[in-house]
Amino acid sequence: MDRKLAIVLALVCVAIAALLPLVAGPFWIALLTQMFIFGLLALSVDLLLGHAGLFSLCHAAFFSVAAYTTAILQVRYGVSTALAAPAGIVAGTLLGMLFGLSVRTRGVYFILITIALGYIVWGVAYRWSSFTGGDNGVTNVPRPALAGYGLESMTSYYYFMLAVIVLSLLAYRVLVSSPFGLTLRGIKTSESRMTSVGFRPNRHLYAAFVLSAAIASFAGVLYVYYNRFVNPVSASFPISVEAVLMAIVGGSGTIVGPLLGSGIVLALRNWVSSFFELHAAVMGLVFIAVVLWAPGGLVGLLESFRNGRRPGR
Amino acid sequence: MSVPAIQLVGIGKRYGGLQAVESVSLTVAAGERRVLIGPNGAGKTTLFHCVTGTVRATSGSIRLFDTDVTRLDEARRTRLGMGRTFQISNVFMDLTVVENVLLALLGKDRRKWTAYRPLRMYPGLHEEAIAGLSAVGLESRANELVRLLSYGERRQLELALALATAPRVLFLDEPCAGLSPSERQLLSRLISALPRDITLLMIEHDMDVALALADRVTVLHRGKVILEGSPDEVQADPEVREVYFGHV
Repeated sequence: MDRKLAIVLALVCVAIAALLPLVAGPFWIALLTQMFIFGLLALSVDLLLGHAGLFSLCHAAFFSVAAYTTAILQVRYGVSTALAAPAGIVAGTLLGMLFGLSVRTRGVYFILITIALGYIVWGVAYRWSSFTGGDNGVTNVPRPALAGYGLESMTSYYYFMLAVIVLSLLAYRVLVSSPFGLTLRGIKTSESRMTSVGFRPNRHLYAAFVLSAAIASFAGVLYVYYNRFVNPVSASFPISVEAVLMAIVGGSGTIVGPLLGSGIVLALRNWVSSFFELHAAVMGLVFIAVVLWAPGGLVGLLESFRNGRRPGR
Repeated sequence: MSVPAIQLVGIGKRYGGLQAVESVSLTVAAGERRVLIGPNGAGKTTLFHCVTGTVRATSGSIRLFDTDVTRLDEARRTRLGMGRTFQISNVFMDLTVVENVLLALLGKDRRKWTAYRPLRMYPGLHEEAIAGLSAVGLESRANELVRLLSYGERRQLELALALATAPRVLFLDEPCAGLSPSERQLLSRLISALPRDITLLMIEHDMDVALALADRVTVLHRGKVILEGSPDEVQADPEVREVYFGHV
């Protein structure tokens, strides 16, 4: 896409999003806020999937450990937001440094290891009820204040999240166009070529994994302040899967794709579940359709229309 | 006498029950152009893999100038000055041509870790990449996706990637394999125009290309060196004629 058009399009989207609370009801504002939060989670997954070629299914672990850490510190120990929020990100990132050792494996082995690691965290959240609150989780997390400005209302949190997502996408754009970003795509395309020109791919993949875990942790902290509680569902396998699907549906390897995918998945789920009980089955069919006919996701689909080509390959 | 560029002592590689390379000892002087020939399955590519570190040799030792690189990994050997091309084209198919060369340039460069600055903010690096492309005649295709390149152009790019690592010793594994006669000519011209301070080791099946380029030739057969000599000596040798050219 040419630069000018992309900038104009992005500005229009931000302007619409900024004006939306004037016309849209609380349902839509809540949905968009969730879209931003899970879009960030999908973005963290796609740094690995779309750029480094690693298919991770444990990102709910970082997301939930960050959310739990922040919630427990704030609710049970009365720690202030200024400390509890960064502590959540640090905790999730530390877990990422541990789980990241799995980048020594590839392909299906990597997927299986990440699934297993994800289940460990879910198991701890669910079973260690004296610490995590078990099934009920941790409730009554207060909404934070930012520089004396409260974020209690849904609308103020929406604006806060809008700013966060815009800044995150801009930073992500720099990241993937940096030498480090190109290195990851090189590893995805040909690892043996990378070693023969002097790279040690595992080190770059490990760094990408930790960075990705940090972004997922950031999303987790934003989630717990939005949701005001956290329970084992946020650590569960379906969350990890959904983050991957969001990235693929929106357009893996792109910048706005994961965010769009988050919007599509959340909107679809909300809409379908309002009249059909087996909404998960409908979602499954949608994902199959995307993989078969639009492997580039929504972004890929739009680009192929622009270029006048048939979608898919 | 000066230090040899490459010194192999007793290199062997065993895959389970198969001894692909059996105790190869080889010395290549700095600046020399050495061609390895031998029938299919002689162990030429396996030997290359062992020397550049793509696979570990099961026995023997490898010296690159003054350094014993036997225990070093491939990335380290590249940084010390080994560059290579692959027999089966190994380029970054999903990236553009110039991005391919940028990656090869970043391999030995600490800036590969930079994550907070877009690549286009490094005009010097970009210029260097374009220069690398024009050296192999691909500068007009710089922004093309590699998957849209012809096979011959990918071979040219393969050479550009190896050269971008600024090798002191360059290993070319059948650079002309599968090319049309005119592409073959282009590539062998590119290779013979390389600066003489790059030591060259090349596997080549095409005898015309091989003998025109080589200072010396080593003949491998069933994992062993059976002869080493000047192109004329090798061509005249009856044993070589027997194993390599077949019965006359």
